Amino acid sequence: MAAQPKPLYVRELNYLEGGGIYGWLTTIDHKRIAVLYGITALVMLLFGGVEALLVRTQLMVPNNHFLTAQQYNQFFTMHGLTMIFLVIMPLETGFFGNFLIPLQIGARDVAFPRLNALSYWVFLLGAITINLGWIWGALPNDGWFGYANLTEKFYSPGINIDFYDIGLLILGVSSVMSALNFFVTIINMRAPGMTFFRMPMFIWSLLVTTILILLAFPALTVGLIFLFMDRYFDTHYYRVIAGATPILWQHLFWIFGHPEVYIMILPAFGLISEIIPVFSHKPLFGYPMMAYSLILIAFLSYGVWGHHMFATGMGPIADSTFAITSMLIAIPTGIKIFSWIATVWGGRLQFSTAFLFAIAFVLQFTIGGLSGVMHASPPIDLEQTDSYIIVAHFHYVLGLGALFAVLGALYMYWPKITGRMLSEKLGKWNFWLAVWSFNATFFPMHFLGELGMPRRIYTYAPHMGWDFWNYWETINAYIIALSFIILAINVWWSLQYGERAAADPWDARTLEWSTPTPPPVYNFAAVPTVMARDAFWVAKYGNVEATGLEQSNVAATAPSLVDVSKIHIPAPSLYPVFIALGVFGMGIGMLVEWYRVVLMGAALLAISVISMTFEYPSWGREDPHAVAESFLSLDSRKVGIWSFIGSECVFFASLISTYMVYKARSTGPFDADILNIPLTSFSTFVLLMSSLLMVLALAGYQRNDKFWGTFWLIGTAIFGCIFLGGQVYEFGDFWLNEGMLFNSNLFSQCFYTLVGFHGFHVFIGVCWLVTLAVAGMLGKIDTKRSLAVEIGGLYWHFVDIVWVVIFTLVYLMRTIKHA
Amino acid sequence: MNEHAVEHAVGRAHAVEEHHPQAPTYIVVAIILTILTAFEIGVFYAPSLQVILVPLLIILAILKFILVAAFYMHLHFDSRVFSALFIFPLGLAALIVLSLMLLFFYLGEHLAL
Repeated sequence: MAAQPKPLYVRELNYLEGGGIYGWLTTIDHKRIAVLYGITALVMLLFGGVEALLVRTQLMVPNNHFLTAQQYNQFFTMHGLTMIFLVIMPLETGFFGNFLIPLQIGARDVAFPRLNALSYWVFLLGAITINLGWIWGALPNDGWFGYANLTEKFYSPGINIDFYDIGLLILGVSSVMSALNFFVTIINMRAPGMTFFRMPMFIWSLLVTTILILLAFPALTVGLIFLFMDRYFDTHYYRVIAGATPILWQHLFWIFGHPEVYIMILPAFGLISEIIPVFSHKPLFGYPMMAYSLILIAFLSYGVWGHHMFATGMGPIADSTFAITSMLIAIPTGIKIFSWIATVWGGRLQFSTAFLFAIAFVLQFTIGGLSGVMHASPPIDLEQTDSYIIVAHFHYVLGLGALFAVLGALYMYWPKITGRMLSEKLGKWNFWLAVWSFNATFFPMHFLGELGMPRRIYTYAPHMGWDFWNYWETINAYIIALSFIILAINVWWSLQYGERAAADPWDARTLEWSTPTPPPVYNFAAVPTVMARDAFWVAKYGNVEATGLEQSNVAATAPSLVDVSKIHIPAPSLYPVFIALGVFGMGIGMLVEWYRVVLMGAALLAISVISMTFEYPSWGREDPHAVAESFLSLDSRKVGIWSFIGSECVFFASLISTYMVYKARSTGPFDADILNIPLTSFSTFVLLMSSLLMVLALAGYQRNDKFWGTFWLIGTAIFGCIFLGGQVYEFGDFWLNEGMLFNSNLFSQCFYTLVGFHGFHVFIGVCWLVTLAVAGMLGKIDTKRSLAVEIGGLYWHFVDIVWVVIFTLVYLMRTIKHA
Repeated sequence: MNEHAVEHAVGRAHAVEEHHPQAPTYIVVAIILTILTAFEIGVFYAPSLQVILVPLLIILAILKFILVAAFYMHLHFDSRVFSALFIFPLGLAALIVLSLMLLFFYLGEHLAL
């Protein structure tokens, strides 16, 4: 007699149960990782809040000496860094993104679960790195924007800026890994039937956000690398005295920095777009326009960075261009605001705490947005820049905007995440205190700005007309803290005594509410088939326009019997923790200049990466189910490597731009005439031919010819080594025979950096090829597993075409001034 | 997803791979790349071509770039999704380079940026 399948959800634990501490340490479940992000970000919120209170206390009365000027600089800098990188971003993307993406798109996990765990652990250790300054008494102290050349050793001789630089580099790695993972998940792992225009709006917002992260962070990374080199290797990337310009930092920083603003606000838009329809009992108004608006905002966000730099004197053409693009962003943003209002209009409103936070978001964000349009005008901006009006503006957008969206979403999703309800009574107290105190704190900053109070001053003289509002704002800042204490009490009360939450306590619209509360490890017993937008609502009430007063037929839509024991759950892994510790060790070693620690960190990183590569028993196997269950019938790994290559394009573009700009400004004994064209022509030929060998290796494995596959793979690695040998010879010749040191002049530092980073990519590629060749020799690669070679090959060919560009621009155009 | 659907999807994925070119095509591409590289170096050393050096070198580099991306990276044969994933960031990267060049060399030429 055939065994009966187990009844749905009978024996399975929910994702919070089981495993103990080791289970949490090795988890690769997206929901647990979300919880880890959430806890870390809430702890960081406590840090950021205390830093803000210290700043406000200092400003409470004129001529105050509660803090020294140095301490004040550290606390306002850390407040910005903490709230942006360690609170808002991780809460929106790491916490809600991790928890909701697979659940909303009908997937069982993210595309790369172990990469997801690695992202979290690197984030955690990055957060610790940037906060280690508390122990040294040397927190970052130059603002979150770290303007050069204040960050140079000459002006900032302590290690404050090193915590900033290395901490942000580590956090950037985490952000890019997360973004890549989520991007691939959304693109490729949606449930059958979930077309782009059936995706929940939060998924749309994260899709766009991940693209922004992938294409914006590399510019910051390059800027931080230059800063690192200036501080550790005595180069001159931001030193005027050497012919460089600190404005370069501003460009690189704001090419990242303005998209970063949207990286923080677009997920907030998405969360609000989930909350408002649920508590209005109406579908989201203007769904297609909302989606297009997100895309347009993201697209425009890359063309507006200069509006942060009007005061640097870019010239009228540049100012006008950036002003126009900045003002244009108001159009798609306005579409979103009107769509939210139209969604509420005529709805059957349920004034829950979540809904109240959402409504407050719309109103307050509009205030912040309108002052943003003012700053887009250069003449107005020149008057207002670096005044408290700017502080008011970005706190309305991000504090009363993004943070309110997060709080609203926390109230809505808490039951799904924990299985318990929050107290609505305490929630209302939390809400009204927050609305009052945030507005009372930040709205008067507009007045202070108009009265001429500059940002970042640690104290001020009396009788400037600033005394009352500063006193008022500080009192209200403490009321903000009180509102968060009420939230903390509510959280504690809920976990201790809160009512058990039903699976769908809000009568919601999207797929995550169709799962049990808290969800099981595998999310969905049977992968859902999506027939419409607001899939769960349609399943319950038959059509998207239903009011929710109709009879729910949800029970009939759930499969009655599913054998959940056959659902594949990826195995946990400790390697992400080791890899993150390796990165952390390298960072800390550099900070304290213990180079043995750097080497130990690098060794731990390398060993852990290689070990994790071979950890999975079916290494490199093309999983037919993975391909079949992917929405586009594409392998997620291939989508992932292409996304990574896309991100690398911006990385190299930033390096190449700097080389071209600084080559023209370079003075001193060395210039591009030193370059050895015959040698490099040979190296170019070798690298191009290595690409031929790479495709021959792939073709070999694809026809299951393991010998020739491995043979060509080894050949590719050897050609890579020859290329690297040529580069080592070239560098050695310049260094030893010509005397061209790394920091001799602008040309030398840019040349060594650009060509050196390409060489580093080749080195990584060679290591990758050797790993593949070993796997090939061990018989782990065949036709079905040839995708592993194809992915390695794509990286290798990318390194090759980057060299095509470098060879042309750096070597063959060496005599052209502006090239 | 049932087994039939799995097989169908895998079939589609493999069908795409079957369209990847084989060794002769790769070798022809390598020969063209070699010729283009030789031409690039020749152009660099030819005094009479210095006037058009920059546009010529850029065209040659673009040709090499396209050949490697289209044939060795299989963009010509694979899903258009991959082309989109590459071309959009590449365009953005090119815009960043052009914008910074413009800002530093032309728009801010007299402003000592």
